[in-house]
Amino acid sequence: MRDPVNPSVESPEYPPELARLPPGRHGLPREFVARNQRERLIAGLAEAVAENGYSGTTIAHITRHAAVSRRTFYEHFNSKDECFIAAYDTVMTELNRRVGEAFEQEEEWPQAVRAGLAAMLEFLTSEPHLARLSMVEALVAGPVVVERYDAAIQSLVPYFEAGREGRSDEVLAGLSSTTEEALVGGIVSLISRRIFADRTKELEALLPDLVEFALTPYLGSTEAAKVARA
Amino acid sequence: MASNSTQRPLPGGHALSRDFIARHQRARIIDALALEASEKGYRAVTVANVVKRAGIARSTFYENFSSKEDCFLEAQRHAISAALEEVVAAAGEIDDWPRRVEAGLAAFLAYIAREPALARTCMVEALAAGPAAVRSYEESLQSFVSLFRLGRDVSPYGGELPEALEEALIGGVFWILYQRLSLAEAGTIEELLPELVEFTLTPYLGAEAARGLTTTKAGANRGTGMYEQSPE
Repeated sequence: MRDPVNPSVESPEYPPELARLPPGRHGLPREFVARNQRERLIAGLAEAVAENGYSGTTIAHITRHAAVSRRTFYEHFNSKDECFIAAYDTVMTELNRRVGEAFEQEEEWPQAVRAGLAAMLEFLTSEPHLARLSMVEALVAGPVVVERYDAAIQSLVPYFEAGREGRSDEVLAGLSSTTEEALVGGIVSLISRRIFADRTKELEALLPDLVEFALTPYLGSTEAAKVARA
Repeated sequence: MASNSTQRPLPGGHALSRDFIARHQRARIIDALALEASEKGYRAVTVANVVKRAGIARSTFYENFSSKEDCFLEAQRHAISAALEEVVAAAGEIDDWPRRVEAGLAAFLAYIAREPALARTCMVEALAAGPAAVRSYEESLQSFVSLFRLGRDVSPYGGELPEALEEALIGGVFWILYQRLSLAEAGTIEELLPELVEFTLTPYLGAEAARGLTTTKAGANRGTGMYEQSPE
């Protein structure tokens, strides 16, 4: 069950790879079936990885969860790694889209940061398998994925950099070229360690702490706490 | 990449005793694993790779370690205890908390700059190496959490600081270091000291006080003896 409070989760834009499709015959056009198979394989991989960890996952696990043949797997992917990368990219695209949308909807930067973080935590909490895949197993899956993981995390930096705009010289003097990277790294580390420890459900409760942590360098502790606890 | 890591002095190594040679071999194997893992990722490394890189016999590997995992855990234990030992030696005696953090971070960065492959392997690959490795990683992180938590006693915001602050700060510091290590910029790691100090102290002391502390030392950061300076 997905979060019933948030209808956007069920919206038609929800990437089909992430919404599990029913296995079996569809009587649908060939091209659609092919796409559908790929999507099912990606969803199957996410389930298999949640069950067995990346290292313990075999192609047989993936095809069983996806309810497709081994041959079908190889029509779409050359290897488990390749399938994982496709899954990882799909999850990250969706996560970025949600964070970006939530961020853009707020006028004020501090509230935008809060909204973006809230969207991220909400997605990860409502999709524990994908959370694990993207934040934990990605680091197990070898250098190609680790590179993507690094890039995905670095891509969050501009959301924080936007907080420099309009700050006093005094505040700016207190920021260094790595402040935003450190903030992002700290946030991601808190999140992934919860996911690793199977405490994904607790993620949403972290929101005020994460917001305060992220805003403090720009607003100071007192003001950051106000936004965080609002 | 630091290729001279096999030549570094062993902790407490004395004469060329049998014990020394045995430890030297272990250290070489550990270094080899770290280098291999930092190049191709832990999962892809085989015992054969490690044996080749270390220039030892396969049987020597198995005299020292039961498996690749065992070797990783030992590498990690070795790195964590060596790093923490240096942090404690540099910072343990300092009462003034901001100076203590600064000295501790300086020692930590110095260790990483000296052992980039090992540091990278431990910081990045623990997840790949399984639950035991993650547990040790978590424990090492907790030592830093305790060091930072002391800051609540001297902070005007003490009781109101977010519960997860220390974890987030350390996660942030580790991420920056990991980035530099991934880009093979270990040589620049120690230059990060002022900004990391400022980053970690700001939530406790406010930006101004944190900056004051780092700018007064701007000159000293480049050179030597910075943690021997007494607070003014």
